[in-house]
Amino acid sequence: MNWGAVFGAAAIIPLLNASIRLAVPTGLAAVGESLCQRAGVLNLSLEGMMLSGAYAAFLATHYSGQPWLGVAAGIGGGMFIGVLMALFSVALKTEQVINGIALVLLASGLTSFLHVRLFGVTAPERFDPMAKLEIPLLGSIPGIGSVVFDQSPLVYLAVVLIVGVWWVLRYTRFGLAVRAAGDRPGAADAAGISVDRVRAAAILASGAMAGLGGAVLVVGQLGLFAQNVTAGRGWVAIALVIFGRWSPLRVAAGAFLFGFTDALQLRIQSASGGIESDIPFEFFQALPYLVTIMVVVVATARARDDAQPESLGVPYIKGARSS
Amino acid sequence: MSIGADRPAPGHGPGTPDPAPLVAMRGITKTFGSVTAVAGADFDLRSGEIHALLGENGAGKTTLMNLLYGLEQPDGGTILIDGDPVSFRSAHDAIEAGIGMVHQHFQLVPRLSVAENVILGAGEGRRVRLPDLAEVAAAIEDLGQRYGLGVSATSLVGDLSVGEQQRVEILRALYRGARILILDEPTATLSPVEIDHLIEQLRAMAGTGTAIVMITHHLDEVMTAADRITVLRSGANVATVPAAATSPLELARLMVGREVTMLSEVGEAGEAGSRTGPASAGPAVLTLEDLSSKSAAGTGGEHPRDFFNLSLEVRASEIVTIAGVEGNGQAELEAVLCGLSRPASGKIRLGSTDVTGATPRQLLDAGVGMIPADRYRRGLIRGLSVAENLVYDRIDKAPYGRRLWIDPKAVAARGADLVSRFSIAVRTPSTSASTLSGGNAQKVVLARALGTDLQLLIAAQPTRGLDVGAIEFVWNQISEQRDSGVAVLLITTDLNEVTALSDRCFVIYRGQLVETPLDREAIGLAMGGAGSRAERAPAR
Amino acid sequence: MTATIEATDSPGGPDPDSAAPVAGWSARLSSLGLSAAAVVAAFVLGGVLLALAGANPFQAYADMLSGTFGSRFNISLVLVETAPLLLIGLGLAVAFRARVWNIGAEGQLLMGALAGGAFALYVPIGTRAVLIPAACVVGALAGGAWGWVVGFLRARWSVNEVISSLLLNYVALRILEYTIRKPLRDPVGFQPVSETLPDAARLPDIPGLKTHIGLLIGLGLIPVVAYVMRRTPFGFHTRMMGLNRDATEAAGVRTGRLITAVMVVSGAFAGLAGILQVMGPESRLTGNISPGFGFTAIIVALVARTRPIGVLLAAVLIGALTLGGDVIQRTQQVPRVLTIVIQALFVLLILVADKVGRRSR
Repeated sequence: MNWGAVFGAAAIIPLLNASIRLAVPTGLAAVGESLCQRAGVLNLSLEGMMLSGAYAAFLATHYSGQPWLGVAAGIGGGMFIGVLMALFSVALKTEQVINGIALVLLASGLTSFLHVRLFGVTAPERFDPMAKLEIPLLGSIPGIGSVVFDQSPLVYLAVVLIVGVWWVLRYTRFGLAVRAAGDRPGAADAAGISVDRVRAAAILASGAMAGLGGAVLVVGQLGLFAQNVTAGRGWVAIALVIFGRWSPLRVAAGAFLFGFTDALQLRIQSASGGIESDIPFEFFQALPYLVTIMVVVVATARARDDAQPESLGVPYIKGARSS
Repeated sequence: MSIGADRPAPGHGPGTPDPAPLVAMRGITKTFGSVTAVAGADFDLRSGEIHALLGENGAGKTTLMNLLYGLEQPDGGTILIDGDPVSFRSAHDAIEAGIGMVHQHFQLVPRLSVAENVILGAGEGRRVRLPDLAEVAAAIEDLGQRYGLGVSATSLVGDLSVGEQQRVEILRALYRGARILILDEPTATLSPVEIDHLIEQLRAMAGTGTAIVMITHHLDEVMTAADRITVLRSGANVATVPAAATSPLELARLMVGREVTMLSEVGEAGEAGSRTGPASAGPAVLTLEDLSSKSAAGTGGEHPRDFFNLSLEVRASEIVTIAGVEGNGQAELEAVLCGLSRPASGKIRLGSTDVTGATPRQLLDAGVGMIPADRYRRGLIRGLSVAENLVYDRIDKAPYGRRLWIDPKAVAARGADLVSRFSIAVRTPSTSASTLSGGNAQKVVLARALGTDLQLLIAAQPTRGLDVGAIEFVWNQISEQRDSGVAVLLITTDLNEVTALSDRCFVIYRGQLVETPLDREAIGLAMGGAGSRAERAPAR
Repeated sequence: MTATIEATDSPGGPDPDSAAPVAGWSARLSSLGLSAAAVVAAFVLGGVLLALAGANPFQAYADMLSGTFGSRFNISLVLVETAPLLLIGLGLAVAFRARVWNIGAEGQLLMGALAGGAFALYVPIGTRAVLIPAACVVGALAGGAWGWVVGFLRARWSVNEVISSLLLNYVALRILEYTIRKPLRDPVGFQPVSETLPDAARLPDIPGLKTHIGLLIGLGLIPVVAYVMRRTPFGFHTRMMGLNRDATEAAGVRTGRLITAVMVVSGAFAGLAGILQVMGPESRLTGNISPGFGFTAIIVALVARTRPIGVLLAAVLIGALTLGGDVIQRTQQVPRVLTIVIQALFVLLILVADKVGRRSR
């Protein structure tokens, strides 16, 4: 096997470039989820949000030919599941784990149903993924330039959004309300904050980001939709939130690690000769998931639950205030 | 406590009819399901007065104030502020109207800083960005200086003591421009010294025109702190009297609705009467040797959760009390003693056996009974029946069960037996435990722990939140255990409980133990940390 | 406590929703009624989707009914779908009762299928009465072991079991795919599948039906699970932990160990379902032994409100629905995945019904 093709100087720049590209869908979803969990909602519907966003983006792009319209539709698709998640977790105050899982199933069923219904068994034509946008001047910096500044415009949008979530959590009234609602919803309520509204807003924001993540996958990278195209990225994203200790920037760093593993496994697979390789390619396919499990184990084992929002996953029922 | 002398004159003469009170609540009613919490109560509040709201548990004091603060909405009646009718949909509206409330259980977020807690929810919806936290912190510290409420505004609330957290709550209300301040049981978790300080600070605030409502059931505090007193009974006000024109005895009569012997006299009588147990205690049952929840060399012991180098002995037939204001390491100590967490260093011995790091199972099997402080979290499973709750810690032991089966008849019989022995008020033992009242819930916890032969009983806050009748029952049960030869370690914040039950007493302050004589004054001082801990040798 | 889909005993402060006394027959009946109403409502919504898809919903449901319960043969096919759902659903019912959210049954099933299948292929036992039970044990052990990983991670390092169990599904699938592509591959075929199992490892049918006897194993385990949950310390502790973990720990139960045990049990049920699929309908190891039984069974356990007898009803219902999806795809040209939408609606509408039911009480 030719390791130079994987780690050689000529290979390393495309590898890192691909890492960023592959990290973006998961990273967007994960950072959105970190906001949602900071507000106290364990949003397990994330995979469904991504899937729904991916499909909405696909449909809009397919019929309009306008990728940016697809991006907008993707955000809407994610928020559609977000509305349902908020309805159950916030308005009805049901067990968040259960409605989260059910919504993943709903999104998976609905998108597959529509897809088969609209296109039958013959897959629709691919469209061209959104072109890369090399940023002038910055893009010509050797090394860094072609890693960071030669990406799809969606990647830049994602970076802005991820930093935006960090900024919102830290420097805005809404961010403070989110942090309070996730730790001590009763205290937030007593301070005059509507915990329900804050949590619903956080869920919708998470839906928008996950939907955008799905859209990036379809519009920015693949140019097609297949049933369950997100392939567990939403679940990985939830794991990354734990790995990143609920801090958006650390979560984003985790997403990059995941993207790197993914890019690496693709590269090794092709470099090692695919089906005939000594190391089974299934191992590389399983690698991102194994790495995710391992980093979660390391993150939880080392830090215990100190960073976890204290009321994560606990529905806030106003009348149940003790005293 | 002699604050009364320099109390500034309230805006109006006490007792005179009030033409335009700051707050007027008229004919307020509120029901929860089938329970009427407030039944046509009236309440007046003037600027610059401290107005005590007095009543037994369940008299509707807190509910009435929650209605004023917008946390609940009244079913009937009107609320006037400055003569204008108001209706608050949420606390937010009340805050806008200049009302602040300090809850009995502080409504603070431990992982946010003092400054962040103070601005939390303030000015919601107006500006996107948070104000500059350094400026906020400076303003808070300024405000604190003015009223003697010193606190570091940049610390995390979780690192503060209970007294400091209360100051944060008060500062928050003042920062938001509260001219009406409601304090729900403000002294419940304070040491006597801190209570004196608090009353001084409240006086200063009232002096600047702030109207203060103090919800309480402590008669002595009412007499020293309040200008006027309103007594609630069964959701209705029975009287409003100037403090100067009443006596504790009259207030007690108003609260209960009949002639009573004074609570504090009962406490003192108990103090004398409790010495009926065997005068000489037996051999050491529980021994703590240099027990720490965290290596003391580490962070220096400033975190309220931890405790350091505890050493004590509890012998058979004695009640040893660890008194102290909440948040001085008791919770962690309870967890360690019950086998739920491991100490960082030191030894725990049961008789001559080393049980450091033993599991709850091993401790239960060794005859250790436990009454957890948080009974709903650690002592009761509301989805199970009362009978199941009474045996759930020995369901795999004969006669209730074996490895592979449970005998429901034995469970039911045990349930019926304990229900009658501990006079738990339920229809049948198969009723769901979710229907139990607070007192009966605690009786279940007690019955499960005391229903077998014990060597050692660890009771944490065994009467917290209970009414007078239930408190007496619990105290009797605990002294009976002592009299029958059990070693009892009592962890409590309640000074009356300390004096009613203890044979020996320690005070825990910032995670360290000090042995004190059985004297209210001395215990009270030690609870406030009087005498720096550096000067006191750790008790042996 | 009838509704385990509910939030747990919230520590501190009475929870008005869980405060209602819920023991006794009337409550149990009304919760059954609520489930039934939710199921009906899900079918109505499914009908709307059918209409939107251009089919006649009444005709479609009629086709579904006759295609599933219309003949003995069709019933046999329904029961073939039911068998794995019943088994996995029973295991998940135990886990969910403990509030251990195992969503890795799919992977546990695959590992059971792989280990049991390899055993049946390569261990030279000629006697059916020995080989089948032995392979079942191997499958259950393998599924249990895969579940143990999740339980161990949760008990030892508090790793969220939802995440770890779900991610392990992907790992299990890759392991299975590799095994049948390389070491266990049938050398003469073009597809990556194993050789056909020896006759001694083929499950016989239930007399009079075209359903393998795996279903009987599932049926036989219903009373066992019901007994264990009601009448053994293990079941009692499991229920305790699901209601209030802190109190359970304070009562001397080692909850870490219990979580691990519960994961092993539910994994073993999934593993058993896996090997039964291999020895029953599949007759060999393939990459698509399971069309998502492990996920569908989550719905089964939730619709059943984690009650063993409810699992049977829900498994038949959802088994029939799945098969009905194939029927309407044939007769009405409606994508069969519609049934997945209906299943998700089951759960969501039961959650709604619970809230509405509680509010009106």
